[in-house]
Amino acid sequence: MEGFLANVLNGLSWGMLLFLISVGLTTVFGVMGVLNFAHGSLFMLGAYLCMQFVRWVGSFWVGLLAGPPLVAALSILLERFLLRPLYGRDVSFQLLLTFGVMLFLDDGVRLIWGPAYHVVNPPALLSGVIPFFSQSYPVYRLFLVILGPLVGLGLWAFFSFTRWGKILRAAAMDRQMAEIVGVRVPVLFTAVFAFGAWLAALGGALAAPHQSVGPAMGERIIIESFIVVVIGGMGSFPGAFAGALILGLMNSFGTTFVPHLQMALPYILLAVILLTRPRGLFGGEA
Amino acid sequence: MTKRCAALLLVILIGWAMTGMGLAAEKPVKIGFVYIMSGPFATYGQFAKQGAELAIDEINKAGGINGRKVEALFEDSTGKPDVGIRAIRKLVFENEVDVVMGLDSSGVASAVAPVMNELKTPLIITHAATPDVTGTKCNRYTFRVSLNVNQNIAMAAAIAADMKAKTWTTAGPDYSFGHQSWEYFQKYLSARKPDAVFLPQAEVAFSPAATTDFSAFITKIMNSKADGVLISLWGGNLIDFVRQAGDMGFFDGKREILMTLGAATEVLYALKDKMPEGIWVGTRYWFQANDTPVNKAFVDAYFKRFNVYPSYNAHGAYGAVRSYAAAAAKTKSVDKEKIIDGLRGLTIELPVGNITIRPEDHQAVTDGVWGKTATDPNMPIRILKPMRKFAGKEITPPVAETGCKMN
Amino acid sequence: MGGLTLRRILPATLLLAFLVAAPFFLSTYWVIILTEILTMSLFAMSFNLLFGYTGLLSFGQAGFFGAGGYFAVLTLLHGPPSLWVALAAAVVGTALLALVIGWLCVRLDEIYFAILTLGFGMMLFTTAHNWRSVTGGSDGLGGFTVPPLNLIAWQVSLFNPKYFYFLVLAVTLLGTLLLLRMVKSPFGLLLRATRENSNRVAFVGANVRRLRLFAFVIAGTLAGVAGVLFAIFNRIASPEMLHWSFSGKAVLMTVLGGSGVLLGPAVGAAIFYVLEHYITTFTTSWMIFLGAILVVLVLAFPKGVLGSVMEFFAQKRRGAAP
Repeated sequence: MEGFLANVLNGLSWGMLLFLISVGLTTVFGVMGVLNFAHGSLFMLGAYLCMQFVRWVGSFWVGLLAGPPLVAALSILLERFLLRPLYGRDVSFQLLLTFGVMLFLDDGVRLIWGPAYHVVNPPALLSGVIPFFSQSYPVYRLFLVILGPLVGLGLWAFFSFTRWGKILRAAAMDRQMAEIVGVRVPVLFTAVFAFGAWLAALGGALAAPHQSVGPAMGERIIIESFIVVVIGGMGSFPGAFAGALILGLMNSFGTTFVPHLQMALPYILLAVILLTRPRGLFGGEA
Repeated sequence: MTKRCAALLLVILIGWAMTGMGLAAEKPVKIGFVYIMSGPFATYGQFAKQGAELAIDEINKAGGINGRKVEALFEDSTGKPDVGIRAIRKLVFENEVDVVMGLDSSGVASAVAPVMNELKTPLIITHAATPDVTGTKCNRYTFRVSLNVNQNIAMAAAIAADMKAKTWTTAGPDYSFGHQSWEYFQKYLSARKPDAVFLPQAEVAFSPAATTDFSAFITKIMNSKADGVLISLWGGNLIDFVRQAGDMGFFDGKREILMTLGAATEVLYALKDKMPEGIWVGTRYWFQANDTPVNKAFVDAYFKRFNVYPSYNAHGAYGAVRSYAAAAAKTKSVDKEKIIDGLRGLTIELPVGNITIRPEDHQAVTDGVWGKTATDPNMPIRILKPMRKFAGKEITPPVAETGCKMN
Repeated sequence: MGGLTLRRILPATLLLAFLVAAPFFLSTYWVIILTEILTMSLFAMSFNLLFGYTGLLSFGQAGFFGAGGYFAVLTLLHGPPSLWVALAAAVVGTALLALVIGWLCVRLDEIYFAILTLGFGMMLFTTAHNWRSVTGGSDGLGGFTVPPLNLIAWQVSLFNPKYFYFLVLAVTLLGTLLLLRMVKSPFGLLLRATRENSNRVAFVGANVRRLRLFAFVIAGTLAGVAGVLFAIFNRIASPEMLHWSFSGKAVLMTVLGGSGVLLGPAVGAAIFYVLEHYITTFTTSWMIFLGAILVVLVLAFPKGVLGSVMEFFAQKRRGAAP
């Protein structure tokens, strides 16, 4: 029982982190049709900036609030000057371009902050442990478990009740129609891309107290996020939530029960879902 | 149609790119280094580069190798075998280096070692620990001056034998290095302590290299019946593991812990006080392990120049350059074949102590050290106190056991 | 499209002449680089049969590339010491593998196809990485002796990089000719038609899935052959050969060179290796430069380098008329 609950919590906390990253990825794909390879690097930048703010002002919260908007600002430049010329062209060009951006950013942080691993401490409020049966469980992980659904709820409210959210959903569903009814698509695209980047960086800042900050930390997470997005259904918001949960839980239970398969599990899941529901769990019928 | 014109243009471009390579002047001795310079393990490459540069500057200041200046070339293996092989081919054919040194990843080392036989160029491995390259894959051109898995785990088993723990498990990377560490540990500990119990393969924790969340593995170990854990994770993996394990109460004193590469300064600098105290950690070189003038000079010079204490990887690169210089002095040549005779059976004092490169398998017999992590208010990182030192002869398996058949 | 005019024949002949003569005037190192460029060209062109000509973006092509390498090395280790046998085993093995995986994958398209092939490629990767007793695990499978090549009367030792280069050149050339024949054939036209509009192809009575599956198997097999060359060249088959990032290399080279032209991927491979060589020579921060250059190339060459260059010449020929 104790092990089971611990596995649930482990899976949830990892899943929620995945969710934050995937939800940005899926929104960007849903609205813009862009598969952003550099999304993981934006996650990494979020972590590095958070670390830098902690060094400057000594507060994790400042890093959490101030870092992601900076990444979003950078991504506006990225979208405006690099991605925009590619919209008429094949998706593979976007993949290649964002891959180039990823290489650039990964090496860029190494040149700025050095190749060493960095450690960010959780804020005082969230450090420490609470008793958990005969063992203990870190507060910060519980924080992640709770924060995930909160962010999800906030996003849902944003998409359902605000003007911008409604425009976004409309554009994701039918871009042309949105354009006809007067949505300024270029502005919308920039906004969506920045929003996705903000979410990725938020995920990075939240991950910083949890794992070592180092170059290439984004490369590791990008493929798992792609899988989450695809099994949930491209562009689907509840899909990203469900996909992240499934992947997170499968990760923790797989480690315990089928260690030999653990590395292949996400891919097996991916194949099974795509072959039975070709548009993902929440993607509608193909 | 102009397809062919374009092809023609391409031919000209490539042809132009390929001409005008290589010109010989007053030739320096060239050493090619191959380390991981990018990605998650780049910090190991950085330390190695610093160690190599220190050794080369010292040698050049003292007049070079046999009167010739020494020049260093660095290549990035990225930790991938094909990239490592390409880098070494580039160094040998294009840069015409006299010797190649380095290699962090065992996978790269296993791939590269057999190729050296064809390139007919000596390779001195300074970090990669797979026993194979001085075992079943040993060959005339491949040497290693650093400790290998065998030697390191022999020390781990010696320490484990004195511990109370009865049932052992492992947390290691899910590739050859992790699996080999665990297999040798079982072998060596069983020999010392026949009643030791080891958890079966499905119950130990091997994590894929890309893991950043270790909670599932930590939970798995904490809920197993093991009271002893061999941790062979390294680099960023070890840092993540230690931090997350610390948060989850893993270091609560209920289990005995051995970290085979815990005393890497790359890791200790990142973790600082997050590294728990009183844990047995291993390394390939520890900068405080001995007071010899050679070691003192090395540590002081290194600290003065780079403002950090040298890691084992820095020492590996430093030691390889020093060993090469000694072999060159011994044979009064840097001829690739003669150097091999010079390296075979070479005994040299390095900061780590006296090492001897066995002529039969080209593995250095070198002293090892393990220690318990402790705090020193004057030091920025955890130190080792007490330390347990092992003589090289004690921990190096005899040549007959290595499976090496030197051609 | 005219007939065999001098203008069409000359550049191809020159390219071939250069490739044949290269080992006689290039240094050993550049012969080695050229060997790698040719190997990767075959790999990338096999990918482009799916991508450029069929409209299927496969992110699992490295799975077949690596599988070919493993099949060949396993044959060399446990079977007769013959290169031909190893090559045959790899061809049969990868063809069967591609048949099974392709049968499952071709029912999807676009990004779903890409991700599903990535998934299967990574399953193959995991197999190679985890099945230590057979594949040697993460260290890869090496330790085989490269047998001399039996050419009826002679035995050619492949230890000499120049001889090995000629083997690679011959195989890549054959592969290119095969691809050329395919894309110029009615089958190739149908393939391209499925890329543009698969429904319309179905209306005229062609079985789109079977067409795609056929292309998938050919592409997989050619990738496997390239993998054999790569594994023998490096004296090892390693799990990295099957990883998605290796598939990504094929995508990169193809898009870089131009997916609309048969030799586009080859040009991409050449650009990539030459760039990598020069960048790694002057800096260890090669990623930042490669990344920046990629971005510039993508923005500057909308049809890939070769594709755009050819378009430029074609427009010039036609005159300034838009």
